Amino acid sequence: MVRRKRTEILLKGSREIAKKLAEGIINNYNVKTIEEPDNGLVMVKVRETARKSLFYLGEVLITECKVMLNGHLGIGIVKGQEPEHAYYLAIIDAAYNAALPETEDWTRTLLLEEEKIKQNYETFKNNVLKTKVSFQTMDN
Amino acid sequence: MGYVAVKGGTLAIEESIKRLKYERLKKGDVLDVHGIECGMRCLIDQVMSESSLYSETLAAISIKQAEGSPEEAVFLMRAYRSTLPRKHYSRTVHPDDMLAERRISASFKDIPGGQILGATCDYTHRLIDFELNNETEGDISNWLHNFARDNGINSCATDLANLPKILDYLRREGLLQDCENNDREPDDITRESVKFPTSRSERLQILTRGQTGAVTSLGYAALRGYGALHPTVGELRVGHLPLYVDNPFDGEDEDDAYYIGGIKVTEVETLFPAPVQKENGVKEIEFGIGYGICYGQNETKAIAMSILDHCLETGSPEYPTHNEEFVLLHIDSVEATGFISHLKLPHYVTFQSKLDSVRKSKKSGRGKDMESDGELNP
Repeated sequence: MVRRKRTEILLKGSREIAKKLAEGIINNYNVKTIEEPDNGLVMVKVRETARKSLFYLGEVLITECKVMLNGHLGIGIVKGQEPEHAYYLAIIDAAYNAALPETEDWTRTLLLEEEKIKQNYETFKNNVLKTKVSFQTMDN
Repeated sequence: MGYVAVKGGTLAIEESIKRLKYERLKKGDVLDVHGIECGMRCLIDQVMSESSLYSETLAAISIKQAEGSPEEAVFLMRAYRSTLPRKHYSRTVHPDDMLAERRISASFKDIPGGQILGATCDYTHRLIDFELNNETEGDISNWLHNFARDNGINSCATDLANLPKILDYLRREGLLQDCENNDREPDDITRESVKFPTSRSERLQILTRGQTGAVTSLGYAALRGYGALHPTVGELRVGHLPLYVDNPFDGEDEDDAYYIGGIKVTEVETLFPAPVQKENGVKEIEFGIGYGICYGQNETKAIAMSILDHCLETGSPEYPTHNEEFVLLHIDSVEATGFISHLKLPHYVTFQSKLDSVRKSKKSGRGKDMESDGELNP
């Protein structure tokens, strides 16, 4: 599973998934922390729609962590102050970079979580769309 | 006249800071930061936007420390921000990727995807709800339970993450001039001092972090009499934008990027009709566009930003609201409140020199009778 998709699932879904997957690695491998979870900033670049130019909207607080596993680096980046989650994300990233066999088993777990995310989105969507206006033209 | 160092205020300052803490605590109730984060959504959005730092938790702590003063909370956020390393730049965010939870147009009734009101104060009676005085956790738990149960099934196929843009529709219809992507890397006002004339990226960055009241006031001035504008909101959206960061060690492959979370923003495109004389002498109406966007849900600020964006793009020596130095140098919260506030800091020496001048001129005019008058010492 590509990094974009798996990080989407791990951040939009339950925090417990990342914890469970990472703990399986911690118990069986030597995980070395290269950079403790620490706060930093990401500058947000936006393409505006009036003249289609680029500008900086502002910065976002993030927590970032780096670990090493079997000689492979893993990075965990998450918006906000979430040191524990950043650590678990870094371990999962390192596991994928090291192509550990466990990662093949993770696909099913992640796809199941993706289904839950889709269900949550449907609930959210149905709720928001209750505020959609249904115009009726009034006659005299 | 140079500055003179004085001392003697240390103890008084220490006691003053204690007294400030006492004012925050004297009623004996601890304000819960999580409670601020849950219940002060709009103030948190305003503080994040004006401080140009997105973090609901930091904004909530700052609001608590500042006792609810937005200017002080923004100052705290900006100061903290200056201590953090900038680790990454996001991949370019395209606002049409927004997961919208509110989307309206004042220009077109039947927009593709429909008018979605979402959460808004627009249709509420502005009457104080005194029942909130007695609201309990049990009350809100029941309300939330009923709200969740009341979801029902909506068969509407509208995809909130993929709503078509009204500007794109107008461009396709030929009602609005299209333009190519401008890929010039943005300037960054936090890294380079602003020099005039500014670039578009600098203007938008200053406007989006401007003080809400200042941006709103100048936008209002441009509408009311300093520019004779009558724009209409083409589209206003509130929703979450997804953020991605490229793999720092391996190029710009989209699939290899890290998703880091979403940020809530308000985005506005405003249409400005203007008559244009064509080559054949015929007058036609063309639309100019103003662009506004800011952190959180702050619709008045985003609309006002779009008005000022259009004013500064067109420029006009007649109106201060079209003058980029006038607008951009006066809307920053920390700069404006800092400069005004510095007037209450000790100016003993400079003011004394002014007093001396007044005394001398009065003395020369009124003779030696003045010599016996008491004097205020610095």
